[in-house]
Amino acid sequence: MLADITLGQYYPGTSFVHKLDPRTKILATMSFIIAVFLAVSATSYAVLVAFVLSVIFLARLPVLLVVKSIKPLWIIIVLTMGIHLLTGQGEVIWSWKFISVTKEGLSMGVMMSLRLVLLLMISSILTFTTSPIVLTDGIEYLLKPFKRVGVPAHELAMMMTIALRFIPTLLEETDRIMKAQMARGAEFKGGNIIARAKGMLPILIPLFISAFRRADELAVAMESRCYHGGEGRTSMHELVYRHRDLLAALAMVVLIVIIGVLKWSNGLCVI
Amino acid sequence: MQPIIKVKNLTHIYTDGQNNKIKALDDINLAIMPGEFVAIIGTNGSGKSTLARHFNALLQPTEGKCFVNGLDISVDENIWHVRQNIGMVFQNPDNQIVASIVEEDVAFGPENIGIPHAEIRPRVEAALASVNMTEYAKHAPHLLSGGQKQRIAIAGVLALLPQCIVFDEPTAMLDPRGRKDIVKIVQNLNKEKHITIVYITHKMEEAILADRVIAMEKGKIVMEGTPAEVFGQVKKIHELGLEAPLSAEVAEALRQAGYELSRDIITDEELATALCQ
Ligand SMILES: Nc1ncnc2c1ncn2[C@@H]1O[C@H](COP(=O)(O)OP(=O)(O)OP(=O)(O)O)[C@@H](O)[C@H]1O
Ligand SMILES: [Mg+2]
Repeated sequence: MLADITLGQYYPGTSFVHKLDPRTKILATMSFIIAVFLAVSATSYAVLVAFVLSVIFLARLPVLLVVKSIKPLWIIIVLTMGIHLLTGQGEVIWSWKFISVTKEGLSMGVMMSLRLVLLLMISSILTFTTSPIVLTDGIEYLLKPFKRVGVPAHELAMMMTIALRFIPTLLEETDRIMKAQMARGAEFKGGNIIARAKGMLPILIPLFISAFRRADELAVAMESRCYHGGEGRTSMHELVYRHRDLLAALAMVVLIVIIGVLKWSNGLCVI
Repeated sequence: MQPIIKVKNLTHIYTDGQNNKIKALDDINLAIMPGEFVAIIGTNGSGKSTLARHFNALLQPTEGKCFVNGLDISVDENIWHVRQNIGMVFQNPDNQIVASIVEEDVAFGPENIGIPHAEIRPRVEAALASVNMTEYAKHAPHLLSGGQKQRIAIAGVLALLPQCIVFDEPTAMLDPRGRKDIVKIVQNLNKEKHITIVYITHKMEEAILADRVIAMEKGKIVMEGTPAEVFGQVKKIHELGLEAPLSAEVAEALRQAGYELSRDIITDEELATALCQ
């Protein structure tokens, strides 16, 4: 499965979580997201963190790998924290000149940024444990009922498949065009934003032209292989729910119930 | 025997963006029999690809008819039969692979025609085995060499169990090794699996492997015959703006210089044998 590693961020494995049906994992991720938005107290957040940690453990993923997945959004997380810290009202616990931090601000800041961290972690666990192809199959299947209201389930899945196939090819091509333009003396670094945007044009234009040519040729090749949309199409992979999917579903129900009980028994409701 | 592909008075006219009419095919008549290996040669723009695209209903005739197994390609109900039985392999290996995993891509064709789930994997495995790519089943296509990608493209067509495969310059973008692999696979498919081959090429060394060579110019078939018959007429080949295989060129030059050499020398071995006599 060496080749899979280079695609998306799939981390191949044979754990319980890896083996779950993709539909189960997508639905479980969605219910976890709901649970996160229901969580209000420190206790419920502790339950959620414990849940994520046990999923990581069950999936036999390196904890560091999952923690790293919050990297792209760390600025937003820090900002969220900062804004809540500085604007919170209530009992002041620390102040310096005009800056004061309140107890309520601190707990809100921690909760809000923890929310983001949990959302990022759970969705990356989904992509770490599910190969993009299987994920696409799962999404297509789950969207099928919405076809009647105009959701193009098959077309969306086909778009994802083709994007996954061609992103590496187009990246390679970008690299090649950049080198070719650099050899002709083009500059991509330095200058203000406008100068840099202008500098990108010699890359973007050939890239677009080539992408359109590829799309054209691919469409012809697909048609010659009998492609005619999702109608009457079968799949090499058959999606089947097994015992473990039932277990996972039960775990999600239990989690939601716990979070729900913690929310409404407290009587106190934030957001 | 019924021809697998039959073309009758086929004319194709393209209309470009400025409403100019381009006659790409001009009253073509042709029959290709089951099991044949036919090469099509001709300069750029002579209409080879346009002709080939009629064979699996990617293009429809402007005038005339094209039949596959006796079925008219212009009748809508016949299109899926035609596309399943006449496979196509194109020049650029990158732009005919759909999925990001090799075996998924090979499964694409059978999935399209609704082959039951349980029958797809055996087909995929057999197709990959016929192009010697079994060990790459789980690989990502973009990491393969051009020749390997082209083999995957062939496997993708084979999974549909076609009777005939049309190759449109399959080796044009490959290095010499990749080219050799593909040519060998094509020959094997013809000899061992009895798949009819239509092979468009600019490389005369590849064209001489066919049973029959068809030369095109300006939308017409201008020469037709065995490789020896066609390439023996070196002068005529030159007039078409083409080159004969190197051995035929050498033999012609020797004939001009006064040597007595047969006109059907087209391979290196034949030339060597003739010269040693
Ligand atoms: N989509 C199109 N629209 C308009 N004209 C076209 C189109 N495709 C091909 N032609 C024209 O039709 C003629 C035949 O083209 P075709 O691609 O069949 O030639 P070819 O023999 O395959 O050439 P090559 O060896 O370059 O592949 C050419 O003059 C070409 O410019
Ligand atoms: Mg062509």
